[in-house]
Amino acid sequence: MNKKLFDSSSVWFKLFFGFSLIIVGLFVFFPLYWMVITAFKSSSEAFSSNPTFFPKQITLENFKNVITNMQIQRYMFNSLIVSITSSLLTTVLAMYGGYSFSKYRYTGRKSIMMLVMSSQMFPFAVLLLTIYSVMQTLGLLNSYFSLILSFTTFTLPVGMWTFKSYFDQIPDSLIEAAKVDGASRLTIIHKIIFPLVIPGAISTAIYGFVWSWNDLLYSLTLITSADKRTLAPGLVLTYLGEFQSSWTEMMAASIWVSIPVTLMFIFLQRFFIEGMTAGAVKG
Amino acid sequence: MKNNKGSKLTDSQFGILLAIPALAVFASVILYPVINSIIMSFTNQSLLYPDREFIGLKNYIEIFSDPNFFAVLKSTMIFVVGVTILSFTLGFIWAILLNQDFFGSEFLRGITLVNWIIPGTAIGFLWMWIFNGQYGVLNSILKNLGIINNNISWLGNTKTAMLGVILARSWQVLPWFMALLLAGLKGIPRNHVEAARVDGASNWQVFRHIVLPNMKFIISLVLILGTIGAMQHFDIIWVMTQGGPARATTTFAVEVYRRAFQDFSIGKAATIGVVWIFILSGFMYLYTRNLKQEDK
Repeated sequence: MNKKLFDSSSVWFKLFFGFSLIIVGLFVFFPLYWMVITAFKSSSEAFSSNPTFFPKQITLENFKNVITNMQIQRYMFNSLIVSITSSLLTTVLAMYGGYSFSKYRYTGRKSIMMLVMSSQMFPFAVLLLTIYSVMQTLGLLNSYFSLILSFTTFTLPVGMWTFKSYFDQIPDSLIEAAKVDGASRLTIIHKIIFPLVIPGAISTAIYGFVWSWNDLLYSLTLITSADKRTLAPGLVLTYLGEFQSSWTEMMAASIWVSIPVTLMFIFLQRFFIEGMTAGAVKG
Repeated sequence: MKNNKGSKLTDSQFGILLAIPALAVFASVILYPVINSIIMSFTNQSLLYPDREFIGLKNYIEIFSDPNFFAVLKSTMIFVVGVTILSFTLGFIWAILLNQDFFGSEFLRGITLVNWIIPGTAIGFLWMWIFNGQYGVLNSILKNLGIINNNISWLGNTKTAMLGVILARSWQVLPWFMALLLAGLKGIPRNHVEAARVDGASNWQVFRHIVLPNMKFIISLVLILGTIGAMQHFDIIWVMTQGGPARATTTFAVEVYRRAFQDFSIGKAATIGVVWIFILSGFMYLYTRNLKQEDK
């Protein structure tokens, strides 16, 4: 039996397949290729009216400039602190919250769940107006805390929903059996249930990390000094607004900031895709 | 159900207790700011001085009589519709191709997702470079193909800047559409497809009568979430154009940011925010209805 969804022996499908593979493939991969290639070019080669598709000469100069730029390394360090902390916090909070939504029935559960989920749609730029004013009043502008609290909260809804869909798959009979054995509710949660949803935890943690790592809007506004600044606004302030942009170095810097999230993604891809789709598709 | 030993709480009390930490931060960082935005929209609050006065509907009247506001509304619509259609269509095609399990399809799926993982700032830089008027590769390719004769300053031109940010953002979210739609394709019951094939159904018929109906839920979900995501989007636009040239790429997110953090008039920013939330509420309704269906 043909296991493929579409019959690939038909001429029309072959045409569609080949044509789309080239068009969409170019759109998806060429820019990425271009970023990498430019980062290895010398500026004299990059700034030519007829760009080369393979560098004539490979140089590590751009990466050297980025890596030895202590200011950028400072931004990187700040980003790591903020991203790791908010990722862990959101995972823990979402785990308990998701468990509550999945395994307990109480009045208002459904409404609260829907409110939490629909909150993803409240515009972050609008929430920022109040968060900024409150942080200003509390003297917490320019603190890691202001970013960590914001990122943790923004990634909670998806995290809770991911956990909920993992918990939904655990049969209640397992919990009942443990209860009969005399285990307390917290023991059941920590010793029996949570170990079963580690894939969900990993996927929530990656989601939280990537979100915090990539954010520009909040880190641009809530952080006001260079020593606390994170990578995204750091790069914008370093490279934009210069009289002559050094594109080759900007591409190297772009690759540099993408490395942590990309590595994380490569090693944990399975969990990531599983978690990303768990909430959305039941299969 | 009886209480467990060592705990005086009923099961539902215990359940609520588990959710309280999450709900507490949720209430303070999301719910309160939304309510406060509505309040601020009736004030002349500014980031420059602490006092504020209630000024009734003045902000709303000013905004609705400001032609700039309608320009922002229009730009947002163009951006959102452009991004959603482009990334959904290409993402769907890409998912169908990768679902055919050909040699290397797993690998391609993997690198496709890199586009979605990397920071929007990096993506903004990359596309600025591609669209660069002097040394950009796009101009060079189009000139070599004979499509254009002279360099175009893509992001410096009010007519093409929007196209630029739409392409960049679509490039970023295409993998997300692809991943969710691919999961949907994998979930289609194979026996339905086999049965249709035995009856001699063509690829188009399989797509039309089996694939689409089976993916109704996931398609509506990605379209709703994609639309909301595009409406929210700030990073790439800010990096590439700061909303310019001449406000041509100023969407809601950029406008709210500008009003609040460049003009410091947080009251007006909040007013635009409230209008924005109002427009979104229709999508929110659709989204939660979808989720409720799933939480049977």
